[in-house]
Amino acid sequence: MLNPPEPTAAGRSAVAAVVIVVTLILQVSVANRLPLPGGVQPDLVLLAVVALALVAGSMTGMVAGFLAGLAADIIPPADHTLGRYALVYCLIGYLCGAASTEMDRQSVVPFFAVAAGALAGTVVYAGTGMILGDPRAEWATVSSMVPLQVLYDVIASPFVVWAVLRVTRRYERTERARVDGLSVPAARYRAMSGRGGNL
Amino acid sequence: MKDTRRTRVVLGVLLVVALAMITIDYRGGEESPLRGLRDVGATVFGPVERASASVVRPVSNTVDAVTDAPGERRRADRLERQNQRLRERLRSMRLDQDRSAQLQRLLGSAGMGGYKILAAQVISAGQGFEDTVTIDVGGRSGVKPDMTVMSADGLVGRVTRVGPATATVLLATDQTSSVGSRLEGSKEIGIVQGRGRRGLGGHGGTPLRLQLLNAAAPIQPGQRLVTLGSQGQRPYVPGIPIGVVERIDRSSGGLTRTAYVRPFVRFTSLDVVAVVVAPPKTDPRDAVLPPKPRPVAVPAVPPTPAPSRTTSPSPTTTPSRGN
Repeated sequence: MLNPPEPTAAGRSAVAAVVIVVTLILQVSVANRLPLPGGVQPDLVLLAVVALALVAGSMTGMVAGFLAGLAADIIPPADHTLGRYALVYCLIGYLCGAASTEMDRQSVVPFFAVAAGALAGTVVYAGTGMILGDPRAEWATVSSMVPLQVLYDVIASPFVVWAVLRVTRRYERTERARVDGLSVPAARYRAMSGRGGNL
Repeated sequence: MKDTRRTRVVLGVLLVVALAMITIDYRGGEESPLRGLRDVGATVFGPVERASASVVRPVSNTVDAVTDAPGERRRADRLERQNQRLRERLRSMRLDQDRSAQLQRLLGSAGMGGYKILAAQVISAGQGFEDTVTIDVGGRSGVKPDMTVMSADGLVGRVTRVGPATATVLLATDQTSSVGSRLEGSKEIGIVQGRGRRGLGGHGGTPLRLQLLNAAAPIQPGQRLVTLGSQGQRPYVPGIPIGVVERIDRSSGGLTRTAYVRPFVRFTSLDVVAVVVAPPKTDPRDAVLPPKPRPVAVPAVPPTPAPSRTTSPSPTTTPSRGN
């Protein structure tokens, strides 16, 4: 029971991949074009990585974060050093996954995780820019962007986190019901408690 | 027997009355004296009929509805679909109109300068600190890196990376972008640098900064800037409007002078842009600048052609100037 069957793992990876791709497309073609005050846009990909990590643990969060970051580094309008987002999202995925094992079923925890993840993500990304001498990541820009970025991420987080939880949870429920119908309560508990499979 | 006789009499009378009424009404036509009778009928029975109809109609409607239900359902579906389609078409038509107007203006600007352009549309925007967008033309359409990108209003940026069907454009507001520029009129040259975040996060709202190379050169708010043109026309072709000088930094005592520039292009709502695939044969100078909004004083030097370059403006510039 503790080791999920093989189809579930593969299926979960597929679901995570779909979630990431969809979020990334939404990010570049919709979210980044919103003329929000301050010129900052919510980072939907970061939110999706946080949500996946909270659902599926640190291993999935880490891998998903890395792949999502790599994709964000190579998707067309990107013009920064390759691998910066991969590094940042990988770290965030790992940390949020680790935090998810500590957290119980309180529904406010994801939002703290999102806020912390957004803050850490923006700061680490800006830090890598400063280390690399990116003229865009100068202190004046970063200091004015970070608070707004965190604010927008927290505002957008309920929608993204909810959508991701819904997609993954529905998938897990049907999958488990198909695989072994008797363990539905355990699956539901697991899905609700936020630590799905022990990958 | 008596009864039957009475009955016959009554019958006869009634028939006679009826015939009389028929005759009178028929002969009378519109002026018939029996019209009053009809009015009474209308007055009395009208309301009753209406009341009964209001009772009956729902019933008959229900019956009709039950019998016709499948057909009505289909009809409603059909109408709904049709409605949706029409609404969709209306919306796309409005979008098309908008786009067509933008393209028209773009062609006007390009024609004024003699640029050969390739129209494109912005499809996505960059994340994080960078001001980049993706456009929907690429190597297959003949776009190459370091081509100038403009819109109907002025300079947008330059192409940095080209994919098969898309290209990445570095906007002029990006902090790594610097564009050689020339002041309208006085011909003083300088470098326009971006300040990041599509101009929204800029301090004081001016997303571009001009470094004037000659610190003693006259400059004042309201003067306009065009691109100077790079070596070999790459990455920037000459003569594309950039923006208006908004304020001048008085405090700087360095070798250069700094001014803040408000661009003509709204970088937050880029839609239809154009890649300049072939530079103009002659420098269009100030010809592409939009008509002056007000008779602003530019007393420094009247906008005469520089003596070194006495090229006459290309034929397309002068007639379309009033656009």
